[in-house]
Order: sequence, then structure tokens, then C-alpha cells
Amino acid sequence: MTTKDIGPKNPVEQGVTQVVDFVDERSGVKNSGRWLMFRNIPAGTSWFQTLGFTAMALFGMQAITGIILAMYYKPDPNTAFGSIAHITNEVTWGWMVRGMHKWGASAMIVIVFLHMGRVFIWGAYKYPRELTWVTGAMLLMMTMFMGLTGYLLVWDQKAYWATVVAVNIFASAPILGPYIGDILRAGPEFGPDTLSRFYSIHMLLIPGGIATFIGLHLYFIIRLGISEPPWAKRALRVQRDEEDARRKAARNRDAGLKGSVSFPPAVVTDGQEVSR
Amino acid sequence: MKKADKVAYDKDYAASKKNGKPFFPYAIYKDTIIAGLAILVVIVLAITVRVEMGEPVNPASTDFLPRPDWYFYFAFELLKIFANQNALTPVIMATFMVPNILIILLVIWPFIDRGPERRIWKRPFAMGTAVLVISGLCYLTFLGASTPEGIAKGETLPLTGLDAAASAGEAVYLANGCSSCHMIKGVGAPGPGPELTNEGAKGWDNAKMVQWMKVPVAPMPSFASLPPEDLENLSTFLNGLGTKYK
Repeated sequence: MTTKDIGPKNPVEQGVTQVVDFVDERSGVKNSGRWLMFRNIPAGTSWFQTLGFTAMALFGMQAITGIILAMYYKPDPNTAFGSIAHITNEVTWGWMVRGMHKWGASAMIVIVFLHMGRVFIWGAYKYPRELTWVTGAMLLMMTMFMGLTGYLLVWDQKAYWATVVAVNIFASAPILGPYIGDILRAGPEFGPDTLSRFYSIHMLLIPGGIATFIGLHLYFIIRLGISEPPWAKRALRVQRDEEDARRKAARNRDAGLKGSVSFPPAVVTDGQEVSR
Repeated sequence: MKKADKVAYDKDYAASKKNGKPFFPYAIYKDTIIAGLAILVVIVLAITVRVEMGEPVNPASTDFLPRPDWYFYFAFELLKIFANQNALTPVIMATFMVPNILIILLVIWPFIDRGPERRIWKRPFAMGTAVLVISGLCYLTFLGASTPEGIAKGETLPLTGLDAAASAGEAVYLANGCSSCHMIKGVGAPGPGPELTNEGAKGWDNAKMVQWMKVPVAPMPSFASLPPEDLENLSTFLNGLGTKYK
């Protein structure tokens, strides 16, 4: 670095440096960015811990393909089906974008469930990461709800009647059910406003919620750090205590065989009572 | 978790982080590879398995097949399990109780399982729950994917003794997709609606049946849009099933 500073910089580099410095002076982005990228993570961090990032990447892909689809889609009962046919058959690469959005939804659900399974099996939801799990559970439910609302938008018979049945199920819940049904349908019956309501929920309300909760989820992950695999080399306290207790018990047994009673009886618990 | 356990965990984790590796590039490169692979798989699927156009929506035609996307098959199969709507297996179990219990359990799980233990084989309760839930979801999804979707066009019901009104009712039944949720003498989907082979045994009159068609119990959709004479014929047909028409 030092040798490079000799002599005048080229004007482009100089300009970029000036802009970066201007922004950094006001935001401190250089320091926090450096901290974010180069902060340490446990050495044993595994390939299984890539599923969360993958789910986020798929959400990004859904957002981009969704924005492109929204450029052509018309959320009106008379034209919705036609606009889907237009996207599928006429728009350049339209079939591809629609295909990616459709398959991306399935992929996102698969990855989100795998991610949850990994966290569950590893016990990564335990102290101090309980709230990371809660925000993740919210994200899982919002992802499922994306699937539900997006299914209606293609406006074919199967999707329409499946959604009628699904909304009936929501509406049959005690106390709040009828209100939820009315909110989802934009009235007591499926009507012209139902489709645009589902469209709005699908592309504005839930994506906003998902983005917000991804932010919270990431905040917790960065603040608390990523968990270690349960097979991490450096044993956790419970394990160490267990081993201590085992060693102590073995020692006592040996001592007992020699006829000595100088050792106190071993505390063979899972080690939680042993103070250190 | 006890205070001492928390302190010990924090200490352990801090040590592990201290001896760790920087996020960039050690975590980022793995993340990028797996996310890239996932997106590649999606692109390959989008190219090889094209998304088809279905039949356009026609709310007047109730000739339908209410099938959700595959990731809701488990909920759909749950409806079939509780389809009989008797006191032991009320439909509210599938539409409200079971899903909400699962959702609440999901959200509050970290506050149920709070011990410091993280090793997989030392947590039999959590692992038992995981195996139960995962195999249950997989089984129900598999069931949903492999059950028949109602009846083929032109197929008829193996019934005898139909009079004129009942025949007209049978035609209404077949034309409006009833068999994509109900079964009569082995014909039609085995759910989510209850089997109707012996529907007549309930002893309902037509007025009660017509009222049910207009305002049914969820998840069944309303058939109030059908013409009154169709509803009347359909009711005659259904109220004689298993008694007059076998």
C-alpha cells in the first residue's frame, strides 16, 4: 500500500476514493463493513450452515422474477388469465421467468424447511439464540403464506377452487375466523376485488414482512454469532463436566478397590451442579 | 438454562470465536456455492419442466378439482383424516386445532427445550419430536401426491334404482366436481369430504340438504350459485343414497 501512494493518483481512482471517503466520513461504512466481513466465526462452521443464506438468495431471486412478472401481470379477473398466457407464450423469456418464479417458490419452501431442520437437530435455537428461532418461525409462516396467495394469481380453475377451500378453512376458525375470511376475500364472497387483494398481499404486504424479519433474523445472527456444530472439537461445558465426573468416578472406584475412603462420593450428574 | 450455564456458554463461544476464522471468505464461499447450486437447479427445472396453463377461472362452473400446491398436501390430507365430521374426529381438528397447535409449538419451542445439551444423541425428547413431525409431514405429503384426483370424464356411479329426479341429481353431482372430494361406492376421491354412500341413512329432508348446499361447513365451498331445481334434484339424490338408491 505504501509504495502505491508515491506520485499522483489517476483521476478516476482519485474520484472514487473521494466519493468513498465522503460517504465514510458520514456513515462510518468502512469500519462497520470491515467488521462485518472479517469478524470471526467458529472454525468448525459447516456446509450445513449455508441453508439460511441459500433461502435468502432464493428470496432475492423470487423478488427479481416477481418484479419482472408484475410488469406484465394484470390483477383483474377478466384479464389475469390472459396476462399469464401472454407472459408464458409471447413475452421474450417470459416462460422462463414464470418457470423460475414457480420452481423458485417450491425450492424456497424446501430450503426453508431444511434450514429449520438443521437448526432444530443441532439445538442451535438454545440460549442465546431463542429469538433468532422465533423470527425464523415467523419467516417460515410468511413463506408458506406467500405460496398460498401466489397460487391464486394464475387464476385457473384448480387454483381458484383450492383457494376458495383454503379461505373457507380460515373463515371457519372460532371467533376471529369470519373476520379473517372477510379480510382475505375483500367481502363475504369471492369477487372482483379478491384477486387484487391477494395480489397486494402477495407482492407488497408479505414481502415487506419477510424483508423486515430477514433484517431482524440477520441482526440476531450477527450480534450473537453463528452457532457451532454439536460435534465441534472444543467440548462445551456439559461435556467437560461429564468427563470430569466420569474421571472422578473412576478414581473413586480405584480408590475403593484399594480399600481407601479418603475420596468423597462422586457427583455423577450431567455435571450441572459441579461448580468450577 | 441456569445462570452458570449461560455464563459458561458465553465463555465457550467467545473462545471458539477467538480461535475462529474470518466470515469472509471462509463462510461466504460455502454460502455462495450452495446458493448458486440452488438457483442453478431452479433454472434447470424452469427450462426442462415447463409451467403449463390451466383452465381459466369460471366461478359459475363448479366443475373443479380443489388441489393445493404440493407443500400444502399435508394440510389437505389432514382434512381427509378428519373428514367424517363425527364427534370423535371433528373437522375443526384439521382446520383449526392441529395447525394452530403445531404453529404455537413451533414458535415457543426454544422456551420448552431449554437445557444446555446440544449433542444430538443426548436429546432424545427433541429428536423424537423431530422424527415424529418430519416423518408425519413427509408421509402426509406423499399421500397427497399419490391419491387419485376424483373421477375420469364419462365415468358414472354404480347405482341402481334411480328415478327421474335422482338421475337428474346424479348428473348435477357428476357435473359439479362433487366427486373430487366425495366418494360414492368406491367412485371419487376419498376426501377431504366424507363418503356419501350411505348419506340417505341420515334421514335429512330436501329443505335441510338444500340449506346445507348453500351454507355448508368449511372446508366445503358453497353451492348457492346452482339453479334451485338442480339443488332440489341433488338433494333428492343424496337423501336416497344407501336407502332407495344402492
